[in-house]
Amino acid sequence: MSRLALERVDGVPIARPSEDIDAANARVLRDELAACLQGADTLVLDLGLTRYVDSAGIDMLFRLNELLRQRRATLLLVIPQSSQLTRLAQIVALPSAVAIHETVEQALGAVSPHSGA
Amino acid sequence: MTDTALGYISLEEMLSELLERVRSSLHADTAAVLLLDVDRGVLVARAARGLEEEVRQGVQVPLARGFAGRVAAQARPIVIEDLSHAEVVNPILRQRGIRSLLGVPVQVEGRVIAVMHVGTLQRREFDEEDISAMQRAADRAAVAIEHAQLSEQRAVTEIMQRTLLPHALPEVPGMRFSAKYLPAGSGVKIGGDWYDVLQLANGRLAFVIGDVVGRGVLAAAVMSEIRTALRAYLAEGHELSHVMALLNDLLVSMGRNRSATATIFELDLERGELEAVSAGHLPALLMTPDGEAGFLEQLQGLPLGISLGQEYIPQIYSFPVGSALLLYTDGLIERRGESIEEGLTRLRAAAESPGTPEDESLADRVYHGLLDETTLEDDVALLAIESLPLQRTMQLTLEADTGELAGLRRTLGRWLAGQGVQEEDLFGMTLAASEAAGNAIEHAYGAHEATFTVICERDDKEVRVIVRDEGSWRESRPYGRGRGLGIMRALVDSAEIDRGEQGTTVTLSKRLPGSAT
Repeated sequence: MSRLALERVDGVPIARPSEDIDAANARVLRDELAACLQGADTLVLDLGLTRYVDSAGIDMLFRLNELLRQRRATLLLVIPQSSQLTRLAQIVALPSAVAIHETVEQALGAVSPHSGA
Repeated sequence: MTDTALGYISLEEMLSELLERVRSSLHADTAAVLLLDVDRGVLVARAARGLEEEVRQGVQVPLARGFAGRVAAQARPIVIEDLSHAEVVNPILRQRGIRSLLGVPVQVEGRVIAVMHVGTLQRREFDEEDISAMQRAADRAAVAIEHAQLSEQRAVTEIMQRTLLPHALPEVPGMRFSAKYLPAGSGVKIGGDWYDVLQLANGRLAFVIGDVVGRGVLAAAVMSEIRTALRAYLAEGHELSHVMALLNDLLVSMGRNRSATATIFELDLERGELEAVSAGHLPALLMTPDGEAGFLEQLQGLPLGISLGQEYIPQIYSFPVGSALLLYTDGLIERRGESIEEGLTRLRAAAESPGTPEDESLADRVYHGLLDETTLEDDVALLAIESLPLQRTMQLTLEADTGELAGLRRTLGRWLAGQGVQEEDLFGMTLAASEAAGNAIEHAYGAHEATFTVICERDDKEVRVIVRDEGSWRESRPYGRGRGLGIMRALVDSAEIDRGEQGTTVTLSKRLPGSAT
């Protein structure tokens, strides 16, 4: 069981897990996150409430990104600047594969064609 | 067969024997005993001679109505010489053609607990001597009933305690849980008090204290329903304020007309943060590491079960190492002829006083300070949560199960914080150790009941976390692609991996701030 909140803004699903992402839940979470897409072409994954992501969790993020790409959809990650995950993302070169934003608003701005962001 | 059933049988036999003697000595045709059910306000036929179907059919007479009801309500003997002119609730009396009745109350310390009556098919008068013979029999019945009800209550209480309260409080490094559940003294039944401790995802802990209004089996049954629903809502991972709102709506919609008070806490051990919501429950007592106690009076919310759509506002409290939390129900502080304020003051004093022995648990300390020599007028549930300093050197043995990782990270985080390690290093060391633990768990793949060990130690210069298993190190994993090792090396000052015959040992170290490189 995982704690995953889901909301939609202008049809864009925003998923917000509140527990750690690790070897115990990564696979289940990947399936749950993929299911959040429901025909949309963007999924915003907000890690603002997530304290730890281990290597199994990092692998899950890469795989989820790949999975969404195959479905012609985009994964946008939100990691606040204050989060320790920012450093972890750099260590594993996550930004080379996935777009990372500091806030949900910024991520949504990247989606909207009307946004200047 | 349970103790309860044995108690019933012996009471039935005893009353039947008594009734047989009463019937023959008074030359009556029937004799019966009806027990008072205080919760429902009815008399229930329990034993009879010459009128056995009364018991089989479970005849019930409302208090103050009918013949037996009036005897109980007026607590005095009543004679009816001619039944055809009187109000009788019990149809069997009329069907059997009973003409005259004598009923006496069965009392314990002035409290009516049952009614005993005899009846005759022929019209007859009962004189003073008949009445006092009957009253003597009723007094004997009173002793038997009182005794049976007490042992029945004890048996029920014991079963309730066994089934409704947590089987065992969880074991969490650096935490001490202690609890007490004390049923009230003589003559009263089980109440609706409860407490609970749950381990949630991420190694968080939830604590619950609550009290369903009223007493008796119904209150206990409602308590059981609430407790189960609460566990489910908490496990689903809702916010505490939402959990309380869901619980309130559930209780209102169940239509039991019972309200309840409760406070729910969620503790993030690593951050030392305690979140709480309350629904009309007495304020919990929070103790700071220096032993000062204060009541969480900011927590306010309507009791559960009154009206739909209530909002419960959460509060966040700091709960650093050395803090303690005491949850209790009103029976702990309420004394006859005393204000709640006086009770609260006494509780705070008991919590602040030093324990004897010194390492006595908080629940024991409060219990000894407040209740030792007091007769309880109400049930008491008491749950104490103490955050104890983790040792400078700590060794943990964990099951080789990925479900242990989140809890391990919280414990490591607490230990590191206790050693003065700051946030960035704390995160790095914790995640690195979690990676090493993840590998240890993979090594044990397929092994039955495998464990691994985590040792935390420090000296003046550095903190070390050593993760040891009995398997062999794998460089690459089918799913993990070996990323774990890179993460580990990047997050700590040194990560040494020793692959031996006996297993793998990973030693992670991080310099403490202020020490030279």
